Amino acid sequence: MQSLDIISVNLWQILISLANLTILFLLLKKFLYKPVTKMLEARRAEIDSQYSDAQNAKQSAEAKDAELTERLVGAKAEAESIINEAADIAKARGDKIVEDARATADGIRRQAEEDARLERKRMNETIKEEIVEVSTALAEKMLEREVNADDHKALIDDFIDKIGEN
Amino acid sequence: MLIGAVAPLVVGIILKVLFTPEKVGISISGALIYFTIPMPLQNLPITESQVNSALVIVTILFLCLYFTHGLTVKAELKRQLVAEWIVKQTQSLVKTNMSDYFSGFAPFVASIMALSAFSSLLSLFGMYPPTSDINIVGGWAILVFILITYYKMKCGPLHYAKSFGDPVPFLAPLNVISEVATPISMAFRHYGNVLSGAVISVLVATGLQGLTNIIFGWLPGFLGNIPFLQIGLPAILSVYFDLFSGCLQAFIFAMLTMLYVASGFPEEDYLARRAKKLARLKK
Repeated sequence: MQSLDIISVNLWQILISLANLTILFLLLKKFLYKPVTKMLEARRAEIDSQYSDAQNAKQSAEAKDAELTERLVGAKAEAESIINEAADIAKARGDKIVEDARATADGIRRQAEEDARLERKRMNETIKEEIVEVSTALAEKMLEREVNADDHKALIDDFIDKIGEN
Repeated sequence: MLIGAVAPLVVGIILKVLFTPEKVGISISGALIYFTIPMPLQNLPITESQVNSALVIVTILFLCLYFTHGLTVKAELKRQLVAEWIVKQTQSLVKTNMSDYFSGFAPFVASIMALSAFSSLLSLFGMYPPTSDINIVGGWAILVFILITYYKMKCGPLHYAKSFGDPVPFLAPLNVISEVATPISMAFRHYGNVLSGAVISVLVATGLQGLTNIIFGWLPGFLGNIPFLQIGLPAILSVYFDLFSGCLQAFIFAMLTMLYVASGFPEEDYLARRAKKLARLKK
């Protein structure tokens, strides 16, 4: 088997080598660069879309947050007003109850005083009647018989006893 | 697909083993000729370098298919990262060394690097590295020369002709010489580096064998035939010449390609010209 000289220029070999490099260039372009570039572009697109999604989500979350804060403040104010109103109503009602109670108590006391006064009046009348009765009976007895000192004394005692009994 | 990438190497090694003639003593020669095809002007010998570069192309093709198989946006496979790394590195290399106008150059630079590096690394497997054949590297250099000239011609042939009389018109012959020297120097730089590495390796190995024969030749029996001194030094030389030098030359060739093409292209003139043309078309 022969071999080439160490330096031997051959036109066809040069052309073939040139063609080989061109072919390899085309192969690399088609089988390495095209799919990888395509994939990188797809990756970039996906990353972009994810970024925009995240941006949108953040914006909507911020909007919701602001809305909720607003609502919370409104609710707090409302609650305060409700409590104040309720306190006012309760105070008014309580005042009214106390007023009523005081009025009722006054009425009851007046009634009781009236009753007591009437009772005393009646008792006085009763006592007066009694006294009249007793003195009438005493006068009858004194007119009925003669009175001596002893009788007199006994009579008076009897009278007083009678008063005491009554 | 990895099998497809490894198979060409196995084929190359088998061919090498089958067809290498028995050597006596030192022999430094070119590639083996498998057969010759008669062609006009010059016969075309199909040599080891032709076959090996074809095998390298097949290997690279299958590696590409392997790395880009099952590409996904989320990069679930580790090998996808290799493909991405290669693409991004070459693209950024082209962007920094050339202008944005040449963004399509990345695959070309990658193919130069891959072809050159893989071809040189074939010598690790004992195969003939096609880069130590002047025809192979010469073909690449001529393609680069065509590219350089194409981009210089972008502003029209007149602009191209004028560029030769650049500083002063009477230096034009020198400019022509330097223009022609570009592909020749590129080809010879690469080819010479790889070939000289192979030559030095052979010389050192042979020399060490002779030295062993002199020093240990007195040992009885087969012991006297073992080349003890060949242990060590040839391995280090192989690491330098086959691995380091091969990759370095590939990188240098690619860098020179980028620099020559980018520096030869009169970008500002071209853009101005194109803008003018567009304006005229609009009218």
